[in-house]
Amino acid sequence: MPNITVDNETFEFDGQPRLLQLCLETGVDLPHFCYHPSMSAPANCRQCLVEVGMPQINRDTGKPNLDESGQPVIQFMPKLQTSCSLDAAAGMVVRTHKSSELVKRAQKDNLEFLLINHPLDCPICDQAGHCPLQNQTYKHGPEGSRFEFRKVGKPKQIDLGPNVVLDGERCINCTRCVRFTSEISKSHQLTIIERGVRNYPMTPPGIEFDEPYSMNVIDICPVGALTSKDSRFRARIWEMSKTASISTVNARGANCFYWVKDNKIVEVTPRTNMDVNEYWLADEDRLDYRKFNDNRPLGPTISGADVAWDSAYKAVSDCLKGVDGTRIQFLGSAFATVEDNYLLSKLASAVGSAAPTYLAHNEVGHGDTWLRTDDRTPNTNGCERLGIHAADVAALKSRIQSGEVDVLYVLEDDPVAAGLCSVADLSGVKVVLHYYNSTNQTLPAADVAIPAAMAVETVGTLVNDQGHAQRLRPAKSIAGVNRTLSMEIGKCRADRHGTPFDKWYDESNLVNCQPGWVSIPRIAAGLNVEMNYKGPRNIMAELSSANDGFSGATYEAMGEHGVRLSEMGVTA
Amino acid sequence: MGDFIKHPFVDMPDRNPEQVIPNDSLMFTSEEKTQIQTWISRYPTADGAVMRGLWLAQEKFGFLPPEVIKLVAEEIGIPYANAYGVATFYTQYFKEKKGKHVLDICTCFSCQLCGGYDMLHYVEEKLGVHSGETTEDGMFTIQEAECLGACGSAPMLQITNGVFVHNLNKDKIDALLDALREGNVPAFTSVTLPQDEDDLGGNRRTDVTSVESYIVPPVSETLS
Repeated sequence: MPNITVDNETFEFDGQPRLLQLCLETGVDLPHFCYHPSMSAPANCRQCLVEVGMPQINRDTGKPNLDESGQPVIQFMPKLQTSCSLDAAAGMVVRTHKSSELVKRAQKDNLEFLLINHPLDCPICDQAGHCPLQNQTYKHGPEGSRFEFRKVGKPKQIDLGPNVVLDGERCINCTRCVRFTSEISKSHQLTIIERGVRNYPMTPPGIEFDEPYSMNVIDICPVGALTSKDSRFRARIWEMSKTASISTVNARGANCFYWVKDNKIVEVTPRTNMDVNEYWLADEDRLDYRKFNDNRPLGPTISGADVAWDSAYKAVSDCLKGVDGTRIQFLGSAFATVEDNYLLSKLASAVGSAAPTYLAHNEVGHGDTWLRTDDRTPNTNGCERLGIHAADVAALKSRIQSGEVDVLYVLEDDPVAAGLCSVADLSGVKVVLHYYNSTNQTLPAADVAIPAAMAVETVGTLVNDQGHAQRLRPAKSIAGVNRTLSMEIGKCRADRHGTPFDKWYDESNLVNCQPGWVSIPRIAAGLNVEMNYKGPRNIMAELSSANDGFSGATYEAMGEHGVRLSEMGVTA
Repeated sequence: MGDFIKHPFVDMPDRNPEQVIPNDSLMFTSEEKTQIQTWISRYPTADGAVMRGLWLAQEKFGFLPPEVIKLVAEEIGIPYANAYGVATFYTQYFKEKKGKHVLDICTCFSCQLCGGYDMLHYVEEKLGVHSGETTEDGMFTIQEAECLGACGSAPMLQITNGVFVHNLNKDKIDALLDALREGNVPAFTSVTLPQDEDDLGGNRRTDVTSVESYIVPPVSETLS
């Protein structure tokens, strides 16, 4: 393998990586703004300059010239090179700011130039705290400004589109956003307009920046020029804890971070997973988080009356007791985790009922060829692998209407809103409902209503449409669970789920709900059915060995980036 | 530009401007389309033809409102945003309606030192409008320009992205404005370069009469 020497340390490399990427991967923290690994390198921020040399080759012999000590003579390029636009080559010798005063000086001076017309409004800027420009200025930049003139003012607070706000002054014209629209999303909605000190990114007249992936430019913006209209000015970065989890808005299960403040989700940002969503996240994944915060239930109810958890579980067991299994209809849910659906199907078989079915939530025409899918549920594939198939809505409806169903057990779904039946149809049916939001339209018909933990509160596994099994981690806390007990060392450290949960902990926003893997075994216990699992980790360990469709999908193997399951067992 | 130095604020372009060129005249003729295709075939990708295309459109429509930029982009087959970025980058593309003659008076370093601002202010006073404005009769637009590459004959001006007028003085400006009002745009004048001194008998002045033998037309005229 070819070698490259960076700051007197020699590394081996593979293929033809760009020099900057190679340095970053080998731990040399080269400052940069415009470079992004998924896009072309225009080399216009000039921040990643390094000294680059190659061994001097003797033209007659074709061999490297050697100095007195027998080492090859290195011929350095006369000027500093932008490492982002340079391919690494065998024998290349690189000096970065760690070993070269010249590079150090270049980086410092370049930052001074970048900051000439930058407003330095960090105290009111949403990017402050996770701003590459701010961080790199502290690390490599000048101590103060020597610019004594009026800074150039540019348009501020411009709505580029429905979700993105531009502050022209903060922009350093790295063109990452423009390249995103031209190379990644191919919407071609942004361009840099004007020239010199006057330029900034803009849509052409008559065009709105309204593509379904527009908010990705907010993440890749290395300054605070592009901010989210939805979450700007709502929380500083250091007031939130972020949890690596996955999005549940569509069947792709894009990897994301849930940002939590005061035990409420404030923002959703993408998390890199080259197998699923690469660096990107659709706008719908980012904006559909209010369901986690608003209209959450206050606690379990029996026929609308608040009860204690124990009474509710007993009531559910009583509903199922003594009823002919064939007259109980279990509805699994493609919103719920693999573990919860697995426990439900165990419960169903324990009471002699048929395997659960789930309600499909397909929105034809919603999907695209990228990260959005027609299927608006996160776990259809997981349900299918468990042998839980989509319900025949018409047949089930006629069964309910003709009184063939005595008990309808609904796991984390809303059959009324999904069009399965009306509340009146369910008047003669005992309904057990695990539900997320108090806006659930089946709630008036529910005999026992059990608030269920949502994707941001539970631990579990979801399988995306491509068969990628991924873990959900609890981003926020629920009532009745003291997560400080599961912290390993102290606040700000990951707890046993691998999540640094809300360090701005607030008792008032705890939702009184229970995850399915807690409530279903409690209900089963009331029917003298044993489900002895310590937690979802053990359920998944059992499933991965018992069900071929999940082989290899243990929590340890899934880790941060999930496991691609084999095609087996997929009937969808 | 002078105003920008005192009050450095970049204006926001109108994001939803009204259409200026009516739809029925917003099109290229078949000859123009063929011409654009010829240009496209000259470059490895179609993007290369955007500047030529914009130029053609500016000559046809007089200036480049957004709908014209869009027309060019569609004709060349490139994204509208790219064409718009190019059009706003170059000051020689007029984004709004200008006078019949646009006087780009150079006030960059060499011209400034040789009286560029005096020339600018003289023209401003004479026409009664400021830099960046158009006279009421729609005849002249005055603009300050950055270096146009004719420092050897400073101060100078350019007429509507075309001919240069070298070695300006007040009399020359008076004569120029009169000629332009009558519709006489001055002819191209060659500027001698140091390496031509031998041909010209050591005379480095640009306004000598003996340059007839050495007139090189602008590159743009040699390409079709």
